[in-house]
Amino acid sequence: MQTNRVASGGRINRGNAVNFTFNGKAYQGFAGDTLAAALLANGVDIVGRSFKYGRPRGIVGHGAEEPNAIVQLGSGAQTVPNLRATQVELYEGLEAHSVGGWPSVDFDVREVLGFMGKMMPPGFYYKTFMRPQNLWHFYERWIRKAAGLGKAPLESDPDCYDKLNQNCDVLVVGAGPAGLAAASAAARAGARVIIADEQQEFGGSLLASQQQIDGQPAMSWVDERLAELGNNDNVMLLPRSTVFGYYDHNFLGILERRTDHLGISSPGQVRQRMHRVRAKQVVLATGAIERPLVFANNDLPGVMMASSVSTYLNRYGVAAGNNLVLFTTNDNAYQTAIDWHKAGRKVVKIVDSRPEPTGALVNTAREFGIDVMAGHVVVEAKGRRRVKGAMVAPLNDNASAVAGAAIRLDCDLLACSGGWSPAIHLSSHTGAKPQWNDELVGFVPGESKQQERSAGSAKGAYSLAGCLQQGDEAGREAARKAGLDGESTAASYQVDEQPQQPQQAMFLVPHAKSTSRAPVQFVDFQLDVTAAAIELAAREGYESVEHVKRYTAMGFGTDQGKLGNINGMAILARALGRGIPETGTTIFRPSYTPTTFGAIAGRDVADLFDPERYTAMQRWHQQQGAEFENVGQWKRPWYYPKPGETMHDAVNRECLAVRNSVGMLDASTLGKIDIQGPDAGEFLNRMYTNAYAKLAPGKCRYGLMLKEDGMIFDDGVTACLGPNHYLMFTTTGGAAAVLAWLELWQQTEWPELQVYFTSVTDHWATATVTGPNARKVIEKVCDDIDLSNEAFPFMDWRDATVAGVSARIFRISFTGELSLEVNVPAHHGRYVWEKLVEAGEEFGITPYGTETMHVLRAEKGFIIVGQDTDGSMTPADMGMNWVVSQKKEFSFIGKRSLSRSDMLREDRKQLVGLKTRDPQDVLPEGAQIVNQPEHAPPVPMQGHVTSSYYSANLGHSIALAVVKGGHKRMGETVYCPLADGRVIEAEIVSSIFYDPKGERQNV
Amino acid sequence: MLHIYCPFCREERDEEEFSYAGEAHIQRPLDPESLSDEEWGDYLFFRTNAKGIHHEMWYHIAGCRRYFNVTRDTLSYQILESYLISQQPGVRAKQTASAEQGEQPNAN
Amino acid sequence: MSSSIETPLHYFHGQQTGSGDAQVTIFESPLCGHLNLRGNPQDEQFLEGVESVVGVKPPTTAGSCASSGDISIYWLGPDEWLLLLPESRRAEVESELRNKLSGHFSVVDVSGGQTLLNVRGDGVADMLKKSASYDFHSNNFPAGRCVQTHFAKATALVSKKDDGSFDLVIRRSFADYLASWLLDAGEEFGCRVVGGGEV
Ligand SMILES: [Zn+2]
Repeated sequence: MQTNRVASGGRINRGNAVNFTFNGKAYQGFAGDTLAAALLANGVDIVGRSFKYGRPRGIVGHGAEEPNAIVQLGSGAQTVPNLRATQVELYEGLEAHSVGGWPSVDFDVREVLGFMGKMMPPGFYYKTFMRPQNLWHFYERWIRKAAGLGKAPLESDPDCYDKLNQNCDVLVVGAGPAGLAAASAAARAGARVIIADEQQEFGGSLLASQQQIDGQPAMSWVDERLAELGNNDNVMLLPRSTVFGYYDHNFLGILERRTDHLGISSPGQVRQRMHRVRAKQVVLATGAIERPLVFANNDLPGVMMASSVSTYLNRYGVAAGNNLVLFTTNDNAYQTAIDWHKAGRKVVKIVDSRPEPTGALVNTAREFGIDVMAGHVVVEAKGRRRVKGAMVAPLNDNASAVAGAAIRLDCDLLACSGGWSPAIHLSSHTGAKPQWNDELVGFVPGESKQQERSAGSAKGAYSLAGCLQQGDEAGREAARKAGLDGESTAASYQVDEQPQQPQQAMFLVPHAKSTSRAPVQFVDFQLDVTAAAIELAAREGYESVEHVKRYTAMGFGTDQGKLGNINGMAILARALGRGIPETGTTIFRPSYTPTTFGAIAGRDVADLFDPERYTAMQRWHQQQGAEFENVGQWKRPWYYPKPGETMHDAVNRECLAVRNSVGMLDASTLGKIDIQGPDAGEFLNRMYTNAYAKLAPGKCRYGLMLKEDGMIFDDGVTACLGPNHYLMFTTTGGAAAVLAWLELWQQTEWPELQVYFTSVTDHWATATVTGPNARKVIEKVCDDIDLSNEAFPFMDWRDATVAGVSARIFRISFTGELSLEVNVPAHHGRYVWEKLVEAGEEFGITPYGTETMHVLRAEKGFIIVGQDTDGSMTPADMGMNWVVSQKKEFSFIGKRSLSRSDMLREDRKQLVGLKTRDPQDVLPEGAQIVNQPEHAPPVPMQGHVTSSYYSANLGHSIALAVVKGGHKRMGETVYCPLADGRVIEAEIVSSIFYDPKGERQNV
Repeated sequence: MLHIYCPFCREERDEEEFSYAGEAHIQRPLDPESLSDEEWGDYLFFRTNAKGIHHEMWYHIAGCRRYFNVTRDTLSYQILESYLISQQPGVRAKQTASAEQGEQPNAN
Repeated sequence: MSSSIETPLHYFHGQQTGSGDAQVTIFESPLCGHLNLRGNPQDEQFLEGVESVVGVKPPTTAGSCASSGDISIYWLGPDEWLLLLPESRRAEVESELRNKLSGHFSVVDVSGGQTLLNVRGDGVADMLKKSASYDFHSNNFPAGRCVQTHFAKATALVSKKDDGSFDLVIRRSFADYLASWLLDAGEEFGCRVVGGGEV
């Protein structure tokens, strides 16, 4: 039964009843309701239980500020925690649960036992639960369960989210009177405008207003603006869209809820869309949030914000009670009593803290026969599960204490207004420091740090005329500063409005008892922070507002203290004997309201999470059943298992095939950089450790590249293609970094060197044909060059035609076998690859993957940069001084560092081979090496294993390792203690296990 | 996310198109072999780590592949100018925002 | 020989996302010649040398492109351009450039490493907004403009055509990722990849 629904009025569709459940109970509301409006209509008083004390809590507000009615929608994978019922649009079948309350909101153990309250003074985590530390896990589980922080689903989110990048001249945040006026003004000036508002309908405060603009109802003015904006192609209207963060350089995030109002899930549609906006100018017309009054038991259900009472009545046709007491410090809230009276409900009294209220609205109320108790305050609310009465007492002259006995007013609804707090959150995100304004009794946006300005009540303008005028001005200014010089005459919107009298500052309502003895006076409803707790924090020595925030948890809830913070800071200021400006405010940070992870991820999920780079032969590898390995973003075939083969079997087979006949590797992923220019040779000389200037066309050379600190950065072969023309190969993972490195030195240090670098990594597809029969395979598909060892020796390259395709063949080898690397433009890649497979059939050509490549090169002691090196290894450490030329005139990059004292230490970690005592033992990579495993901890470390495999060719395991002073320790025994308790004994040997003279690659 | 003016592309682009390339105006010693370990170490490892005005190199890796310099306030993240590697900054610390002085290459 | 060629989106031709008629078409050109050109824009001889071969000077305005007959030339950087031309003319133009140019320059064939896509249709503006933060609104990006930019988590050279459609030049190794990305981004409009042979 919608007992609280009034007979007519509101922006709801009474013809469209909507069924929903709340904490398992069925209710009915109307289309156009929020969940909060529908709950109030149904007379649901208790919507949650408080964080620490388990006290019953009701709906307080009507928007983003709501601290109590925090719900979780749906169930299973389709669930969303921590939503404010005041912002949830009702849909058929909606299923909501309070996040607070255990075991249920109607029966909370903490309330009955009064247990947690005593246990949880401010700083309760620190004081109570951190010692003994091992019990924290036990406490935490229990506290979280009781506190109700919402439940994250365990299943993956079935819904679709995406992101849109937007660029605009002017972004207007908020579509109330100021925002709409701003958007209209900016659009008229020709600006590209985005206007976003978190509510389902544009209009902001006007949606619940009885005021008139230009002689017609305010909503008619809104409709006119929307028609004007809607017809403009340069304007994007974003309702249901929260601007949740304001980041550097006018970059803002907007969360648009596209289907949340239709149901918990929306298969086939985008549920939420993140707009990533780069705005030239921003207008913040985010409005203001009404401030609660802090008095005893002010958290009882039925104590609500005055503007919320009006909003539920005017916008949703819901009267949240019968007999209203209004408690105010300002004129503005009188409108609530007037609205209530006009709706035919009883206004018991208006309690106004000011001694002589005389404003126009005050007079109107009095004319309606409403009784005003001036100079009085509500000191305490009475009731258990809902407010039943208000204790009202007179104030002394300076409003610092009660000046007489309290009387009781019976009521079931207590509307409160402590004035307004401008919603300065987004302005705060920019780093602008909020400024205290005594006249407005609130913080207003500080000096702009970005291209933004605030307008309307966000800036402290509380009259409708002021909002419209400021909005119009802000919109015109924003357009002008965005570079638009279109029409810029001020709009003139007529509002019939009477001036309001100043409000009274009132942050803690005096009580006959001291704060610590009076019934609890709540400052932060969501985290149960009381005025007494803040005063206690001050007594315990906390002075900084940021520390008090952390000590008391004030403002730490999902509502970020939108209601309570100002009162809390003012109470702290008074306790410290300071002013509010000196005490300052905590800084608001993104997000304004909680933002779903789904929207942050967008479409960057599953297969699209990160690019997968493929070579031209990818489909062939897939068809052969290859397993893949990630190398950077590349997918490389790891090994090609045959039916029934384990990885071990497959790798052994591939290794033997290469050494005994022929194998083929897709090497397309190696970085390739084309280098041209008169100074190309000189440049290479400076970048590599060895000499390049005299490399002749047709020749290749292996080089090491160091960083300026002398550490190995990359390695690879560079070929001379012609005069002043080279092709550099880099490691697969290092390609982009090497190109950036070359450009860095050429562009910033040696611009006088004439040389150009062009990435050709993707242009070439590479098939490495390797093994004793490699030449025989190539001969079958290439007849235009002499492939003999004499005509085409090791470390040469040739232009050739392979399978009818123009190709380059490089005789370079990473396996130690005779190798011919065939490069063709990638669009021919798969074709040529398959021709090579065909040609190799008679030799049992075996495709092999990166694992076999690793084993074969390790047998040869060839390093892999990034595996055997880690950014702290020099050429000497790797035993590679043969690649370092000391004769070059120019001090190549890294050379000077090689003679630093630290580089000359004899106990540097050096690359060696390890042979395990048991040839079948394969050491784990990363295993630590020690001299004496029985040594008492800490055991001196000698180094670690960098590469380790089983070598089918050698019939035993092989490992590469870096060991302190290892080059001079051949034959010594070392030990690898493993995590499983075993200790493996190994002998230090040469890092070259196979074909130490390197004869096989030269055949 | 920063919006960085590329003096070659002549427009502001999102930070994600760039990579940071360290402090600007650090010249490689012409004769490294003549330096002591300490002098070489200074060149190699020591940077100003300025609080406030900072001159730094950026690489337009997803755009024109050019390096350029930026003067950025490390407190506010405000970018005060973008200029060529061969140029000197128009804005320096202390002399706060007197961009006219010196050869101001390209403010935005 | 043409049977030996696979363009980067070969395996995507004919793929479609979304229901109903495809509002967005991604057309992959048959194999084009792609030549990367480097040279000094202040050197008139260089500019004229290029003009004598391709019929138009390399544009020196940042982010612009020019064309002459069947050759387009895109600004990539202050001394770097991309020439797009029919593959049948690639070898001839490449060697002509080498003959006509002198001093410090470079010409590099990158045809195998990239592919040319044309995207058109009603949802294209939103598809681009999903993919890149660059402002492709006609105020900022009229026909004749080109830009190399971040695109999804890869990069692309994007240019605006006279007919309002967009050309994308993307790298081969990222082509599978970007095709999947674009098909996904275009799903709400209906999106189809069409290969050169199908038109
Ligand atoms: Zn650039």
